Amino acid sequence: MSEQLTYEQALEKLDEKLKLLEDGDLSLEDALKAVDEARVYLKVCTERLEAARKKIEIRPEPSE
Amino acid sequence: MLRPEEAQRPYTVTELANEIRRELRPLTAMLVKGEVTGMKQGAGGHYNFSIRDGVSRLDAVLFADDARRVTTLPEDGQVFIFRGRVDFFGKTGRLSFITDQVEFDDVGKLRARLEELKRRLEVEGAFAPGRKRRLPFLPQVVALITSPTGAVIHDLQETIWERYPNMGVVVYPVQVQGAAAPMSISRALRRCNEEGLAQVIVVARGGGSFEELYAFNTEIVARAILGSRLPVVTALGHTSDRTVADMVADVEARTPTEAGSRVVPKKADLIALLRERERRLDRETNQRLLRESEKLQVKRARLVQILPAMVRVRVDRLAHAAANLARLSPVQQVARREEALRERSRRLAAAGAARMTRARNALASRRAPDRLERALVERFATEQRRLDHLRQQLVAFSPEAVLARGYSITIDSETGRVVRSAAETATNRKLRIRLATGRLGARVEEVEP
Repeated sequence: MSEQLTYEQALEKLDEKLKLLEDGDLSLEDALKAVDEARVYLKVCTERLEAARKKIEIRPEPSE
Repeated sequence: MLRPEEAQRPYTVTELANEIRRELRPLTAMLVKGEVTGMKQGAGGHYNFSIRDGVSRLDAVLFADDARRVTTLPEDGQVFIFRGRVDFFGKTGRLSFITDQVEFDDVGKLRARLEELKRRLEVEGAFAPGRKRRLPFLPQVVALITSPTGAVIHDLQETIWERYPNMGVVVYPVQVQGAAAPMSISRALRRCNEEGLAQVIVVARGGGSFEELYAFNTEIVARAILGSRLPVVTALGHTSDRTVADMVADVEARTPTEAGSRVVPKKADLIALLRERERRLDRETNQRLLRESEKLQVKRARLVQILPAMVRVRVDRLAHAAANLARLSPVQQVARREEALRERSRRLAAAGAARMTRARNALASRRAPDRLERALVERFATEQRRLDHLRQQLVAFSPEAVLARGYSITIDSETGRVVRSAAETATNRKLRIRLATGRLGARVEEVEP
């Protein structure tokens, strides 16, 4: 599920889970599940931050 | 005929051509105003055209090197002010105006045309905020369409990498000024989209006058930005009017630094933000587990309170059951019965002994042994005599003795009574007759009372 998420989408999901947890209406089981899921999204976010590769490429105009 | 004073060596054509060129040398850095006609691009990127007014016409050429520098490319039917020199080409025998700069003749007219373009784009909805593409929150590669030299590209890269050290950058070098700039910029925009190396495009230039920024006010560039699939950010650094490019761009930044900060988030901020989320997550997890553990503690405490009572009840019940079981056990029962027997046996023995003792004591106290013996012998003799007498009486009275003397006993079979008189029976009644030896069954034949 988390494979295609962008940083922003994963962060949104993470915040949703956090809100659920902080509202405190979850059963212990659901809360632990939400924590696990939130950690997955946190990991996705971190991975996305490191996904970019520093490089500079020059694409000159093809000569006519 | 040539006159004698004219009889000098004639010029060769080349000599004359060179002479003409020399004569034309003062006609340099000339400004000439005229309408463009017959514009065409020749080999090697040179442009050939004619400049004319109502009466005269002058061939003109714009060499490739100069074409890259001019503010705008002359178009047929437009009046420009050309700067250049006049030269004569011996090979073709043609006189040409070598153009090195082209300027709009009438900026006012140009502005009017620009306003007309803006109106058209406005009607199309090209400036509508709803049309604007959203910038990606976190691109992996940023495309820069700008001049490959100068401060702009340097500032952009600096800003981007300062904010996000591992951001990818792809540069599409273009001419940002001059006649070729509009085509150069629009081609780069199309290539960006075709190649798809980046997720966002920055079109940048380090400011300039209205004329210098002319490319960004052309319809060609405006259309290329509008047609871009990738979001476009302009950073033209201008201080005068907004260009059409700015108006159709998805985000308009003033400087390269501003553009950089619009397209790339600060990585440190993102990391801090994720750390904050992580802390909240940890806190929630810990608090929740603590809460659950406290709940468990309360339950455990209650259990500890309740347990002994529960155990006690069960222990009592168990003890009771064990006692019952023991009582009902055959072994126990036998043992108990044995014990009871032993008890009785003891009591019996005790009672017997007591009785004996009592008797013995009575005897000892009342009679001497000899008296006892005598009395016993006497008693024995008396009893013996009584017994003999009784036995004799018994023999005398015994039915056997009577029967032995020939008597018999008649008994009615039905009543079992001894028949003592004839009236006690009747004809045909069965009788049993007992004799001294044996019995007879008989039937009454006759009764004589």
